[in-house]
Amino acid sequence: MSTSTVSTPATTTPVEKRSALAPLGKPFAAAGGVLGIVAALLPWVTFSLNDGNWPDKSTLQFFDAPFAVTGFRWHVLLLGVLILVAAFAPTPSKGRVVRALGWGLTLVSFVNVAYITVKGGGLGAITALDGATAFGGIVGLVAGVLAILAGYGIGIEPVGEWKFKVSTPVAYLVLLVSFAAVLYAVAAMLTTGGVGTSNPYSGAIFLSFLGFAAGVLGALSGVGFIRWLSALSEQHRVFSVIVLAACALLLPFTEAGNEYWMTVAANIGIYAATAIGLNIVVGLAGLLDLGYVAFMGIGALVAANFSGAATAHFGITLPFPVAAAAAAIVAGIFGAIVGSPTLRVRGDYLAIVTLAFGEIFTRSAQNNIGGITNGSNAIPGIPPLSLFGNEFNKSITLGAVKLPAGVLYYILIVLLVAATMAVFANLKFSRIGRAWIAIREDEDAARAMGIRTGKMKILAFLIGATLAGLAGAVFAHKNGTVSYESFKFLESVTLLAAVILGGMGSIPGAVLGAALLFVLPEKLRDFEDYRLMIFGLALILIMRFRPVGLIPDAHRRAEMIERADENAEEAHVEAKKA
Amino acid sequence: MSTPVLEARDVSMVFGGLKALKGVTLTLDEGKIVGLIGPNGAGKTTFFNCLTGLYTPTTGQVLLKGNVLPGDPAQVTDAGVARTFQNIRLFPSMTVLENVMVGRHVRMKQGPLASLFHGPAYHRGEKAARERSRELLAFVGLNNLDDELSRNLPYGDQRRLEIARALATDPAVLLLDEPTAGMNPQETEATQQLIFRIRETGVSVVVIEHDIKFIFGLCDSVSVLVQGELLVEGSPDVVRADPRVVEAYLGKPPEEVQHEVDAAAASAEEEQA
Repeated sequence: MSTSTVSTPATTTPVEKRSALAPLGKPFAAAGGVLGIVAALLPWVTFSLNDGNWPDKSTLQFFDAPFAVTGFRWHVLLLGVLILVAAFAPTPSKGRVVRALGWGLTLVSFVNVAYITVKGGGLGAITALDGATAFGGIVGLVAGVLAILAGYGIGIEPVGEWKFKVSTPVAYLVLLVSFAAVLYAVAAMLTTGGVGTSNPYSGAIFLSFLGFAAGVLGALSGVGFIRWLSALSEQHRVFSVIVLAACALLLPFTEAGNEYWMTVAANIGIYAATAIGLNIVVGLAGLLDLGYVAFMGIGALVAANFSGAATAHFGITLPFPVAAAAAAIVAGIFGAIVGSPTLRVRGDYLAIVTLAFGEIFTRSAQNNIGGITNGSNAIPGIPPLSLFGNEFNKSITLGAVKLPAGVLYYILIVLLVAATMAVFANLKFSRIGRAWIAIREDEDAARAMGIRTGKMKILAFLIGATLAGLAGAVFAHKNGTVSYESFKFLESVTLLAAVILGGMGSIPGAVLGAALLFVLPEKLRDFEDYRLMIFGLALILIMRFRPVGLIPDAHRRAEMIERADENAEEAHVEAKKA
Repeated sequence: MSTPVLEARDVSMVFGGLKALKGVTLTLDEGKIVGLIGPNGAGKTTFFNCLTGLYTPTTGQVLLKGNVLPGDPAQVTDAGVARTFQNIRLFPSMTVLENVMVGRHVRMKQGPLASLFHGPAYHRGEKAARERSRELLAFVGLNNLDDELSRNLPYGDQRRLEIARALATDPAVLLLDEPTAGMNPQETEATQQLIFRIRETGVSVVVIEHDIKFIFGLCDSVSVLVQGELLVEGSPDVVRADPRVVEAYLGKPPEEVQHEVDAAAASAEEEQA
C-alpha cells in the first residue's frame, strides 16, 4: 500500500472549517463508532406498529436478544465497527472513508427513524412511551453525524492510490471474489424487503439497505480499492467479462431467483441494452438524442407484426431470430434517416430535431397511421418465445434444479446486454470510436484530421438505433403487448437520465443507471404520489454531488479528479498566502 | 521546372462585403519551407482555411501536385494537406497517444465490420497505427506521455502534440498556424529545429508567424500578406530589405506622412478654388 497519498495536506474543505474540527477528528470518530455499535444493540421502536412489528426484532417488547443482530441493526453495527477500524488503523485517505461510513450510518438511521415516526404517528415511537425507552434511532443518527464531522476533522485527502501489483492468479482470485460480492449485493438489493407488497416495510428496508451499501461503497472508493479494482479488471479484461457474465447468469440461483425478480431483472436488462445503444450516440459521438426510445418502439412494432399475434398486420409469422434481425434493420434505417439532419444542425438544434422525431413516432403510432400499430388498442397476444418446446415464460427444470418462470427470458436478455456491451466496447476502441470521440471533443479539428464527420454521425445514429431495435424485439415478446404508450417522450428522458446518471461513455454506468432508474420507482411505492418527486430529487442530488455519473468513463474520471486536486492545491496555496 | 507541391492560384475570398483575400497566389516547391507573414487581420488564417478546404475560395483554386483540391477539410487532409490551429485544438479528454491515432484515421483501412469484431486485421491495423503514432511522438519529442490526457500537457507540449497529430495523416504539405505563439526563446528555437527535421522527412511546410526573426531564420521563401493582398514574395533577404514590408508593419516614416497630408490639403484647396 502506498504511503505517498498523504504527500500533500491539500484538502477540499474550507480551511477554517477544518481548523475548527481538526483536533476533534479522532475523538468524534471514536464517539461515532462506539455510539454506532451501541445503537445497534438498543431497541429502536417503543411499541408494535399498526402494520406489524418493525423488522429485525427492534421493537422494545420483542427485544429479547440484543446481541442477535440482524438486518438493519447488523448494518448499523458493521458501520460502527468500520468507523472505529478506519479511524484508528493506518487507512489511506482516512477522512474520506470515515465520512463515507458516517453518511451510511446517518442514512440508515434516518430512513428507519423517519419511517417509524411516520408509521407510528409521532416521535413517541422512537423515544419513550409509558416509561419504556427506545433510543436506538436517535443514538444512530448522532453517531452518523459525529462520524461525518470526524471525517472533515481528519481532513479530506485525495483518494488513496494503491500501487502494489499482484500476480495473475491472485488478481483472478480478487476479481472472482469481488464480482461474487457484487452478485450477492445485487441479489440482496433486489430481494431485500421482499416481493411487492408482501412486507409492509419493504420500502424502508430497501432504502435502509441502499444507505448501508452507499456508505460501504463510498468507503471502498475513498480508500482507493474501487480504483485499484477497476484498473485490475481493465488489465484482465477478458477474464473479468467472463466472470461478470457468469455472475449474471447465476442470479437465478440466488435469493432473487423467483418469477417476480426475474421479470424485474429482465426489464432492467432490456432498458440497459437500450441505454448502452444510446450511450454510443450521446456518450461517444456527443449527439444529444431526445427521441431515442422511438427506435425501440419501431423494433418492437416490427417484431410484433411478424410474431403471428392475432392483430398483427402482416399475415406471416417469422421465427424470432429473423424477426429480431428485421426489427434491428428497420430501426437502423430509421436511425440513419433521423441522423441525416445532423449534417446540418448541431447541439441544441439537433436535440429539437430528435425530440420532434420521437413525437412524430408516438403520434403516428397512436393514430395507427399505416395500420401497423393498432393505435390505442395496441397489439396484444404476442406469443412468448420458445426453445425446444420450452416456453420462455414458464419455469423449467434442469435435472434436480427447478428454475423460476421467466428465467429463460432473463438469460436471453443477459446475453443481449452482453452483446451490446461487446459492440459498445469494441467500437469504442477502434478507428470509428476514436473518430466519434474526436467529433464530440472538437468537430472542426476532427474534420481537419480527415474524419468525414457526416458519415460518422449517421453511423452513430444507425448503430444506436439498431441496438434499440433489437432490444425492442425482445421487449415485444417478453411483455406480450406492444403499445405506443411504452415509447413516449418520458421513456426517452429516463433512458437519457440512465446514461448520464451512470456516467457518459461508460458501460457499467449505463447498466447501473438503468437498474436504478427502473428499480427505484418500483421500490419507492410507499411514497405513492410523492415517489416521482423523490425520484427527481434523488437525481438532482446525484448530479449535484457526482456530476460525472456513478461509474464514470476512466478518462472523464481522471479529468474530474485532477480538477478537484487542482482546486484543492489552489485553495491550499491561497490559504498559505492569507 | 517540376510542378509545385502546393499552388494557390489567384485565390479570393469575400465575406458579404468584406474582401478578405484579393487574388493571392502562392507556390510551394517540394521540400521547401514558405513563411506567410503580415499584420493582424491581413487574411493569413483565412488563406489557410482556403488551402485546407474549410472555406471554398470565391474565385481561384488550390492545387496539390497539379490536382485541384476538393472543398472539404476531410478530403483535403486525405489528399495530403495537414494543418495545426492558431489556438491549439487538441481533443482534450483523449490521451496523447489517442490524439495522434485520430490523425492516423485517414490512413487506416479499418471498416465498421473490423471495428465491430476485432479480427486479426483489426489488431494488425491498430498495432501499426500505435507504432507509427509512438514514432511520431518520439519524433516531436514527447516520449513516455502516451496515457496522459492531452489537456494536462504543458503549453509547448500541446503545440508539439498538435504537430505530431497533423504528421500522423502522412501529409505532403504541413500548414502551421503560429506554431511558436506564446513560446519562450528556447522553445521557439526547438520548434525551428523540429520544422527543419520535418522538412528533412520530405514534407513541405507553410508557416504563419508573427515572430519575424523566427520566420527569416526558418524559411526558404517568405510571402507578405497585407489587407488580403500579396505585397511581396521572395527570399528572406529580399523581403527584409523591402521598404513596403517595413511600411506595412510600422507605418510610413513621419516626414512622408506629413508630405502626403500636405499634398492632400493642397489638392483639397485647389478643388475649392
